[in-house]
Amino acid sequence: MLPQGKMAFLHELVKDCLQDEKAFCTVKCPFNLDVRDFIGKLQQGRYNAAYKTYQNTVGFPGIVSLLCPEPCRDVCALKEKGGSVSLKLLEAASMNFARNREPDQYNMPPKPARIAVIGAGPGGLACALRLATRKYKVTVFEKSGHIGGHLNDLPDADILIDDIRLQFKHEILDLRLNSRVTDISALDFDAVYVATGMHGDTFGLSLIAEGHYSTDRDGVFMGGSVTGADVMHAIAQGLSTASAIEGFLKTGRMNHFEPPATETKLTYSAINIIPSEAVRPENGKEYSREEARAEANRCLKCTCDACVRYSPLLGYFRKFPKKITEEVEVSINPSSLDGEATLATRLISTCNYCGLCREVCPKEIDTGEFLLRSHYTMREKGKMPWAFHEFFLRDMEFSTGEASLLLQPREQGELKYLFFPGCQIGASDPRLVMRSYDFLLNNFPSTALLLGCCGAPADWAGDAPSHEEVLKKIRSAWSNLGNPAIVFACATCNLMFRKHLPEMKGVFIYDLIARSAAIPSIPGNKTASVFDPCAARHEDDLQEAIRSIATRAGFRLEPLPMEGRLAECCSYGGQVSVAHPPFAEYTIKKVINRNTNPYITYCSNCRDTFARAGKETMHILDLVFGLEQRPQPTVSERRENRLRLKTMLLKEYENEDFNMEMKESKLTISSGLREKLDAGMILESDILTLIETCEQSGNKILDPEKGSFTGHLQIGNMTFWAEYRVLDGDRYELINCYSHRMKIEE
Amino acid sequence: MEEKKKLICFKCNKELVPKKTDFSYLGHTFFTEIPKCPQCGLVYLSEEIVKGRISEVEMQLEDK
Repeated sequence: MLPQGKMAFLHELVKDCLQDEKAFCTVKCPFNLDVRDFIGKLQQGRYNAAYKTYQNTVGFPGIVSLLCPEPCRDVCALKEKGGSVSLKLLEAASMNFARNREPDQYNMPPKPARIAVIGAGPGGLACALRLATRKYKVTVFEKSGHIGGHLNDLPDADILIDDIRLQFKHEILDLRLNSRVTDISALDFDAVYVATGMHGDTFGLSLIAEGHYSTDRDGVFMGGSVTGADVMHAIAQGLSTASAIEGFLKTGRMNHFEPPATETKLTYSAINIIPSEAVRPENGKEYSREEARAEANRCLKCTCDACVRYSPLLGYFRKFPKKITEEVEVSINPSSLDGEATLATRLISTCNYCGLCREVCPKEIDTGEFLLRSHYTMREKGKMPWAFHEFFLRDMEFSTGEASLLLQPREQGELKYLFFPGCQIGASDPRLVMRSYDFLLNNFPSTALLLGCCGAPADWAGDAPSHEEVLKKIRSAWSNLGNPAIVFACATCNLMFRKHLPEMKGVFIYDLIARSAAIPSIPGNKTASVFDPCAARHEDDLQEAIRSIATRAGFRLEPLPMEGRLAECCSYGGQVSVAHPPFAEYTIKKVINRNTNPYITYCSNCRDTFARAGKETMHILDLVFGLEQRPQPTVSERRENRLRLKTMLLKEYENEDFNMEMKESKLTISSGLREKLDAGMILESDILTLIETCEQSGNKILDPEKGSFTGHLQIGNMTFWAEYRVLDGDRYELINCYSHRMKIEE
Repeated sequence: MEEKKKLICFKCNKELVPKKTDFSYLGHTFFTEIPKCPQCGLVYLSEEIVKGRISEVEMQLEDK
């Protein structure tokens, strides 16, 4: 049954996702400028839009772009990788190249609340500007005869003061110059901001610890240079206090607003840092449009997106874990009126369960495990389309039924090992299992063999009852044999045992081979890359053993960018090919093009998937047993191979003739049609059953022109159609074949 | 459009004619006209219909 607690835990974990964390530069900026947004607009050449973002954030862009000491440079991820991004120059570029630098004019009704700002320095005016823009009645008291406070003492004073005038262009402000406030209690206003500047009057007020810019007097706020802030922070505090005042007017609470963030949980390790040389303005002063764009393009727009960058699923859908959990949540607990909307069904069924998302996440968020649990829940609720997994569940039934076998060694006494090759290696080529078992018996004569399936298809399908049944079978066989150690040849089997049969510990045959077998040398000096299967990402010793075998065989190994802990799924994991064929193709294409070397792998699904896609790939056992050149079997041949393996084993070790019924030999199929059946995952044995059923019942349709018959049969939930001609006796020529999921209500 | 071809029910020796037929998938039911034996009700679905409309509806229901 479902561990609901675990599901809740995973849900909780997703809350730690760093996707929404602010960039390093943003939290260092007193204004919290959304640099990712600002830069994004510059990268597109949208100078006007970038300028608006900047203007809305800093209030006085002309002042800030001139006076900002660029604290962002200290934290830029490119600081030591070519030089920090020159935000100050980019901000200036946004101003220079914006079509219109005028502030926007908002036609909003005036608000009745009256606010007093004491001090017409940059901080006080920033607060006044923001409130005036929001149409409050703002009165500014300034003791001197001019605005701008200490800005007037700076070299570019005119430019700075002009910017203030420009930003107030559309706003109504009651500016009272030469008006010194001496008694704050004499002011009749709804809120007051004290921004009297360096060494200015504090009116006996003190800031309170729990409120930002709040004083111990209700409705009175204080900030800027009078509290020790530099000019940038004074402006930023003025803007923030405007929000604090608005919060106070609405709620009566002094700290009802979110102050600018100063910290981020983002880590540099989560960022894909691509070094690049800083762009320097040719004129030594300002960027040209091209230079600005080039510099903007250097920016990494730091965000934690490791999962989306690495995980095939999250990358394909461009969805972060939070979004995924939201969609899954509404699929499991639909909010639609009929309770039927299951938005994320295909998304849930597309996960390879390869574990890469958790591996690369700084918070170790296991989106794959979350999706697997969701799969179980959806299946339990009957909301998961049966078609996504029926083929694989039938295949598992075949492997654990008709094709299963338990062989005990001739040698009596306590068993050392139970060889569990899994269902796929024998399906790929029976000789791989035959020779592996032969190797084991030669080295460890007391080794038994169990042909079956580890239950992965049931686990991936979220089918708890079938999964439990398979595990029960394995557990019972193992305990009847006296609990021997397992010899694995498949990393997925090993992973499944670790998760679900932890009491059954074992070793990999590859470790045993690396230690004791003579490895045939390959002719020439060949280069290859080891493709680690995703199920082996944490098997360091195994990865080492494979590399040792390949090197001893004479291969020069070149690493893949994604190997070891970062191993990728070949697309087979989760058996997603029926639920989402384009995703499977996308994954295969991506991983086979990681480099041009032939791959050496130790998962037969990786090997067969890549070989089918035209990538030269060999299984490590092919190498050990000299079987490099072999075709990849069709879905029908995979079943035949399992039966063939059983026959070969019984003959070799039990001297028993097992009559394998090769139904398929009764069918004549062209090679083109055979490929079509393989691609459509249609078993030739099912088609023969269909034809024989139609022939027996007479339920078939004649096409008089072609002289062919067409019949159909529902096997499991799937309906198959075959067009065929009757040859001699009980042999048939298959002309065409197709299938559908819809049931005909006959 | 699919070319109309003559199809005969082998058992009844009757030509198939378009008739209302019910289908179901994932708890949803619907009907359409497909060639059917007027006597025993044996149906015929061409590959064109299966790969076209039927596959489309299947996908839609899976994503619903």
